[in-house]
Amino acid sequence: MSLGRLIRPERVLVAETYPNKKELIEALVKSVCLDYPQLDPADVASQVLKREEGISTTLDTGLSIPHARLEELTDFAAAMAVLHQPLQDVSGGDLPIRVMFLFLSPAKPIFFQKHLQLLSALAEKFKPEFIEELVSLSSAEEIAARLAR
Amino acid sequence: MNIPSNSSRVKKVVVLTTAMLTFIPFWKAAAVVLCDFGSSAFYAGGIAMRAFGPAFPWYILAVMLFSGLLLMLELEACSLFVRGGAYKIVREGLGDTAAKLAASALIFDFILTGPISAVTAGHYLCGLLNSFLELLDSGLELPEAGVSVLFGLLVTGYFWRQNVKGIEESSSKSAKIIAFSLAVCFLLAIWSFITMALHGAHLPPTQLHFSDESLGWAGHIDWMQTVGLVGMFMAFGHSVLALSGIETLSQVYREIEYPKAQNLKKAAWLIFGFALLFTGGLTFLSAVIIPPELIATKYNDNLLSGLAMSMAGPNFLKLLMQALVVVCGVAMLSGAVNTSLIGSNSLMNRIAEDGILTDWFRKIHSRYGTSYHIIHVIAAVQLAVILLSRGNVYLLGEAYAFGVMWCFVFEVTAIIRLRWKKAAQKRDFMFPLNIKYENYYIPVGLILLCGILVTVACVNLFTKQIATIAGLGFTAFLFAVFSLSERLNAKRANTMFEEGYRERINAETVDDLKEAFADLDRPHRILVAVKSPDNLYHLEEVLSKADAENTDVIVLYCKPVENMLYRQDMRSAAVDEHEVFTAVIFLAEKYGLPVTPVLVHSNDAYYAIAQAAAVADAEEVVMGVSGRHGANPQIERAVMTWGAVKEQELKHPVTLRILWEGREVSYRFTR
Repeated sequence: MSLGRLIRPERVLVAETYPNKKELIEALVKSVCLDYPQLDPADVASQVLKREEGISTTLDTGLSIPHARLEELTDFAAAMAVLHQPLQDVSGGDLPIRVMFLFLSPAKPIFFQKHLQLLSALAEKFKPEFIEELVSLSSAEEIAARLAR
Repeated sequence: MNIPSNSSRVKKVVVLTTAMLTFIPFWKAAAVVLCDFGSSAFYAGGIAMRAFGPAFPWYILAVMLFSGLLLMLELEACSLFVRGGAYKIVREGLGDTAAKLAASALIFDFILTGPISAVTAGHYLCGLLNSFLELLDSGLELPEAGVSVLFGLLVTGYFWRQNVKGIEESSSKSAKIIAFSLAVCFLLAIWSFITMALHGAHLPPTQLHFSDESLGWAGHIDWMQTVGLVGMFMAFGHSVLALSGIETLSQVYREIEYPKAQNLKKAAWLIFGFALLFTGGLTFLSAVIIPPELIATKYNDNLLSGLAMSMAGPNFLKLLMQALVVVCGVAMLSGAVNTSLIGSNSLMNRIAEDGILTDWFRKIHSRYGTSYHIIHVIAAVQLAVILLSRGNVYLLGEAYAFGVMWCFVFEVTAIIRLRWKKAAQKRDFMFPLNIKYENYYIPVGLILLCGILVTVACVNLFTKQIATIAGLGFTAFLFAVFSLSERLNAKRANTMFEEGYRERINAETVDDLKEAFADLDRPHRILVAVKSPDNLYHLEEVLSKADAENTDVIVLYCKPVENMLYRQDMRSAAVDEHEVFTAVIFLAEKYGLPVTPVLVHSNDAYYAIAQAAAVADAEEVVMGVSGRHGANPQIERAVMTWGAVKEQELKHPVTLRILWEGREVSYRFTR
């Protein structure tokens, strides 16, 4: 699955920092939902946050991958945020979030392996050096282009 | 994947070393049992001869055939997988009081096994030395009693020390001893047949001639006649000491490798065949070839040496044969001394675990990891018995059969009771002759066996005065000690009952994960992550299906690092590792598969699992489901962590599996 196809510049949020993880997730959900009018952002955000209440999706590399599996979807959808100042993930062992990659996947069981593949691929790609590189970029277009490379 | 094995995520790596986690093939298990059970060939015939005369080989042969029934009894006992041998079986079936009585009787048996074996070995050795001195016409004769006591003390002392140190490869040594014994047995048999062909032979008589000593109190009871069935039971009772050692099978069952049930049956067949040929066959040949007057005098305490020296042929060859018999006898009998120490140590440990003895007894040696206090007590008592016996094998033999018979009586009664109490439990083996009634198998065969055992044990009470007095006295004393100690230890025992049984384990801290897995040498590796003793379905699944010969199973428990801020999902994970590994060891023993238990201290279990799997080069990582989070979030987290720690292409695909009752979610990393 190509990250370049999944993330377009308009789905990249570049910010100095964010007040908290919840608000950042809500902002990214709102961004994804722009492409899917059938989705209710509040409902989607609540599903993502509910998943976050369980096992944290923040890794100590600085990447956070909040996600949810939705009945309404037939394909993957995503948005990401790059923060210049790390955001502390209080519920995830106080690990600093530098990049948040939020994605939504279809709930049908057939997509679950792809869902796992994407999680694995993201964790593998977003190593600290790569995150540093993304943080050094100033615009959403540059970040999307770097992802597509 | 290339991950530094001392990565900051894993703070400390501990490998558990004490737990019995290596398993042996059936023939080695049979050899361990035979070193005890088979060694009675060296003294049972002589003792029986002194008790009821030249008819003794028929009864020793009958006892060896009877041992087949007792081996089947042990098979059913083992198939219940009540860990801890006869003591635990009796406890399950008949309760605490009967268990304490059975244990007392069995310890009496173990305590005498060592001395009778060591002293007999001394007699064989002294007999050989005297044969040499006779050949040299030296006119010297070593005192058998003195030499046998001295040798007995030395052998017991040696194995005392060895047991405290923790003997390794004991089953391999036992296998070598049994193989050598088989070769000696074969030579003796061939030469015996040649001798019979040259000198002619007659079957031993069947008439019983009891001495006043062997009649005991029965000599004063009118209805206890020495003829007919009563006489046969009395003679049988004087021969049952040849059965001692069978109970070792239930002790060694823990160690038998997968497939456990089939291997146990093979071991039982091997034991039966060997005992029938070695003890039964050689005793019979001795009675045919050695003149009865020589058995009664010169070779009473070293019957098989007498067989070697009574063959047709030149003296130097006979002496060489006697030397082989003595080497074989000393090795086997010494093995029995060792087994008696191991058996009694194991039994006392089980008793201590139940809170009947104070924890002082289970104290682990800081260097060797053995329960050395128990070993000290048993060995000291055995040394005292050797000194008190003054080298008299008959006296020891007379006292001997009490423990083994009464322990079998308790065990068979308990197994009969368990047919009702645990009717639903699957048994890999059932003692034959059963009648199915509704959900129960009425154990007709076991009831008949129980009848025979009770009859022999009761007859022995009258005929074997020394056994009755010493056995009852010792059993009563030990029972009183157990009861008193249990009462004094009541508070501690209640705590243990609430906590459940815990395996005593020694832990070795190693520098990193690489060192922890350095000894793994099988081509395939499965890493099983465990978290709770109550959630080991996944480990059981792995153990029930793993290819034992080609697969190393690593069991990893991740303990959160103290004084650190844990992840939210880690805060509830800290359970006592003893509890977890006790359950792990129980399962490993149940399936007879070796596992490598490793404890890591880490602030993130998923990182620790991924790192350990990478360092161990595991092809499969298996986890249980978390009741709190569910399988999907777990596998998501595991997959993410795997991706985060992965630094290079995989050498082979790795499958991550989460298993729970009949279900599975998995993910296969292919690159």
